[in-house]
Amino acid sequence: MPGDGYPDWEAVYQDNATWVYRTIYARVGNRADAEDLTAEVFLAALRPLRLTASVGEVRGYLRATARTVLAAHWRETLGREITSIDDIEQPPESEQAISTAPQRVAGVLGQLPDNYRRILELRFLQGRSIKESAAELGVTVANAKVLQHRALRLAAQVNEEGES
Amino acid sequence: MNTRALRRYIDDLLRGRRPKPFRPDDFEAAQIRTAIELQAARQESDAPRPEFLADLHRRLAAQQDSAARPAPKSNATRRNVIVGTSAAAAAAVAAVSIDRALIDSQVAEGGNSEPQELTPSTGRWVRVAASADVTGGVMRPFDVGSVIGFVRRVDGKAEAVSGVCTHQGCRLWFDAPDDRLRCPCHSTSFAPTGLVVTHQLPIAPTPLPTLMVREQGGVIEVFVPAPPNWSA
Repeated sequence: MPGDGYPDWEAVYQDNATWVYRTIYARVGNRADAEDLTAEVFLAALRPLRLTASVGEVRGYLRATARTVLAAHWRETLGREITSIDDIEQPPESEQAISTAPQRVAGVLGQLPDNYRRILELRFLQGRSIKESAAELGVTVANAKVLQHRALRLAAQVNEEGES
Repeated sequence: MNTRALRRYIDDLLRGRRPKPFRPDDFEAAQIRTAIELQAARQESDAPRPEFLADLHRRLAAQQDSAARPAPKSNATRRNVIVGTSAAAAAAVAAVSIDRALIDSQVAEGGNSEPQELTPSTGRWVRVAASADVTGGVMRPFDVGSVIGFVRRVDGKAEAVSGVCTHQGCRLWFDAPDDRLRCPCHSTSFAPTGLVVTHQLPIAPTPLPTLMVREQGGVIEVFVPAPPNWSA
C-alpha cells in the first residue's frame, strides 16, 4: 500500500478530531450537541476503519459519516433537516469545507437595517447579554428582546432568499 | 407556529446550552438555521475543548481495545438460522451469501468493513432499469435473482447498493419520506449510500456493499456474479 496512510487509529483521531468537531459545530451552533455528534462520528467510524486507506480516503469517510450523523440528529430533534454537510470539491479539512458561516453571515448582516444588524452582532457575534446589549443600544431590555426577534426573522428571510 | 419553543431554542443557543427538541415550521426552521450560522460565526467559538478531546480519546481507546479481542462468531451459524424461514428469506440469503463471501475475504485481508464494492471476478452485466426510470431522489429496487439491490442517480451518475441487510440477510425496503433503506427484521436503517443510519444491535452492522454499475443505450446495468452452476 502507498505510504500516505495513517499508522494507527490514534493518528487518525489526532489528525482529524478538530476539523470534524468544527464542521459539526458550524451546523449545530452549540457545544453540547457538537461534542456528542463528534463522539458519535468517531465511535462509529474508527472501529471498521481500514488503515490501508489513504489520508484522503479516511477524511472523505469521516465527512460522510458526519453527514449521516448530523442528518439523523436533525430528524430526531426537530423532525427536519436544518443544516447539512454537503458533497464538496474542497478537501474536508479546509476552512471552506468546515464552515461558510462567517461569509454568509457577513452577507446577511450587511443587508439589514442598522439597529437589527447591531443587536445580532452584540448578541450572537460578541456573545453579550440582553441587558448589556440593551444598554449599548440605549433601549430597554424589553425593546432589545423584541428587536432581537425581529432582526432574526428578517435575517432568516434574507438568508433564505440568498439560498434560492 | 411555536413561538415559545423557538424563542427558547434561540435562547439556549445564545447561552451555550443544549437546545430542546420541538417541531418547527418552515420559517422557524429558517430562523434556527440563521441563528446557528450567527452563533458559528462568533470568533474563536468553534475550537473543541481539550477535556472533550481527551475524554473521547479514552472512550475510543476502550472501544478499540474491546474490538481487538477475538470475538467468537460464526457466519455459518447465522446463515443457518435464516435458511428455511421463507422463500423470500431464502432469496435474500442467496444475495447476502455472495455479499458475505466477498466481504469476508476482504475482512480477512485487511480487517475492513467500510462499504465494499462488489467486484465478482466472473459475472455478467444484467439490465436492472431503464435510464428514464431512475431519476433524482428515487431508489429504484431491482431483483435479478442472484443480487437484490437499489439503483439511484447521484449527480447524473447511476449508483447501486445491495438491498439485503448486512445483519441477517433480510430484504430492505426504501422509505422515501425519510430517504433511507429500512430493514423489517431489526429496525436497522441505511442511507442511500449504504452507510448505517440507525441500528439497535450490540454491534453495528457493516454498510451495504455497493455494486458495479454502467449505463449505456438508455439502460442501467449491474455487474452480478455468475451463479455456481453458470457456464458460458
